[in-house]
Amino acid sequence: MLALLILSSTLYAQSQRKPPAGFKKKVKQQQNSFLDKQWWIGLKIGPNLTKATPETRYSVLTPTNYALPITDKKYDGFKKLGSQATLEITFNYKGIGFSFQPTYRLSRFTYTNEFMWDNPENAAEMLELKYDHELRVDYADLPLIVKYDITGNTLRPYVQGGIFYSMLVNANKTVEISGTDFASGGTNALSSEPVIVGAKDLFHKSYWGLMAGAGLHYNLGNVRLVFDASYRIGMSNVTDTKNRFSNDRLSGIGDALDDMKTDNIVLSIGCLFPMRFLSTSFKSIDR
Amino acid sequence: MNKYLFIFISFIAFSCANESDPEADKSNFVRIYDSNRYNASFNPIDMQQTPDGGYLFLGSRRLAESNFSGVYLMKVDELGAFVSEQLVDEEYLNPVGDLLFLNDKYYFFCMAAVSFQTQLIEVDTDGAIIEVYNVGGSYPTAAAADGSNFILLGYDNGSKESVLSIVNETGSVLQATGYSVGAGDAVEEPIINHFLRTGRQFPFQVGKTSGGQYFYNGFYNYTFSLVFTDLGGGGLGVVQGQQDDGGLSRVIQLNGNTYATARFNFGDNYFLPNTSLNTSGISSSTDLGGFSLPELVRNAPVKILVSKINEKDVILYASNTKSGQIGIYVYDQSTGEFLGSKYLGFSNPFEVNSIIHTADDGIAIGATTYVTGRFPRITLFKLSTEELSAIF
Repeated sequence: MLALLILSSTLYAQSQRKPPAGFKKKVKQQQNSFLDKQWWIGLKIGPNLTKATPETRYSVLTPTNYALPITDKKYDGFKKLGSQATLEITFNYKGIGFSFQPTYRLSRFTYTNEFMWDNPENAAEMLELKYDHELRVDYADLPLIVKYDITGNTLRPYVQGGIFYSMLVNANKTVEISGTDFASGGTNALSSEPVIVGAKDLFHKSYWGLMAGAGLHYNLGNVRLVFDASYRIGMSNVTDTKNRFSNDRLSGIGDALDDMKTDNIVLSIGCLFPMRFLSTSFKSIDR
Repeated sequence: MNKYLFIFISFIAFSCANESDPEADKSNFVRIYDSNRYNASFNPIDMQQTPDGGYLFLGSRRLAESNFSGVYLMKVDELGAFVSEQLVDEEYLNPVGDLLFLNDKYYFFCMAAVSFQTQLIEVDTDGAIIEVYNVGGSYPTAAAADGSNFILLGYDNGSKESVLSIVNETGSVLQATGYSVGAGDAVEEPIINHFLRTGRQFPFQVGKTSGGQYFYNGFYNYTFSLVFTDLGGGGLGVVQGQQDDGGLSRVIQLNGNTYATARFNFGDNYFLPNTSLNTSGISSSTDLGGFSLPELVRNAPVKILVSKINEKDVILYASNTKSGQIGIYVYDQSTGEFLGSKYLGFSNPFEVNSIIHTADDGIAIGATTYVTGRFPRITLFKLSTEELSAIF
């Protein structure tokens, strides 16, 4: 009985002990100070769209009796979906993030050429052909990005800008030829099996560019969901100027790549994880 | 920090530097010169690089009103961009190579439409016709430069002779000697079919050796033969073929009696990058042997260029493969050893017509391709020294 009394009095005394004055404020300050800095790491995936803008035009097929611009390629901007996967590593300090986001990106873009041969003296002698070209280019992107959290707590919009360096990994080209032959005894729709060729030599080994965008962070428990949109502006020529005519299969059908720069619209969703914790039960992202 | 950022950005900008390079654009390109006329047909015969770095093509074109081909001249710039063309009047037919350079002007032989007499046409560097000289004689088949004169090989269908002439730059015949092709119509038939382009195109050639002998590759005594002559009463040297089924496809003298040559025999093709030819007496081309090239089309046209690649004296052979490509085969000039090959073209068929050195130590190849598989068009391949060096 005595022992029980001693034990219970001791526990009561302990439960009644008060922290020193200002202790809670100090702890909160320490937590806030701790949370001013945070490392985030995570994965993002999503689609992208590409637009190629020709700088200097090139063509194997050189007209002698019709206008040169007729041979110009007609580019389709932001038409074909590509995809990318990104590893994001971000260091946040008071709402400003410094982010390195190595990315494996597949970009696709298309262009077309159309040609016609006819005989003004014999309307039946006419051939129309259309060449549909699709390029699929794989890059390893190395972007350095600065992000700024605008406001908010659980839902945090942000803006971002940065620079990227893209290294060529692989490239392929598909050419489909279709048309109408009016000269072989009737109107005959032509189509052929696509010509698929490796095109890595046609592209320069790297290019660089600038990017800007915006996104949203949504804090969910101890992780951060992210939706990210950015526009990437290519600043250097993506075509290998020395290998422009090196592919016999493409030269043979009259095609050579223009000097061009590529822009991308890149959308990603992903999940980021904090790397610094106060304790295992600490919810770092809700503070 | 700023310093490291500057270094980083400089590195990126430098490693990505890839702007248009006009020198690279000049040294390496492919161009197909297209007309949108369905019934138009153009074939290059020979070309020369002009002093401005561009290229002047002598070509032939299909004529609706004649069995013979018409004359076509085209000038392109150093990047291969089209500059101008001359659809020469149909009064002039059957142009033949070489396109000859003399005193800053270019010359070629053709024949008049009605009389079939040989004409010498003088053009400027843009291909514009300056003067036309009547040479006389008939059916020109090949020409070559000889100092300030030209050597002309023609066919006289009246006397049934191959005629070797020395012609000056105003078309005057300084000397001419005829060599009988044989009696009867049978021997003449393949020659006429050659001109009408209804039969096999024979590799007529004419030239002069370093020893002062003239030679022609053409018909002699019922046979397509290589004939060496002094144009006078001296004896002939004859390397006989097999009537019109065999003979030499191309001959380039290396030194003395040593030649780089190629031969055809009943459709088969052989390269002989280093062989001795008898320039006197009678011998047979079938005894020369040579490397067999089964990948080439039957009785393939062959162009040969003595060149230097990777500091090595080499001989380039260019010919047409059965797969529709142009094959370039490189041999060591001194030993005849095969060093490597390169193939040009794909998808549409390509046929070689001429091969020349260019001022930047590369080569240019004039060819015919069939756009969309059906329209014969002139093609220019420009290969840089780097591309040639990669062959071996």
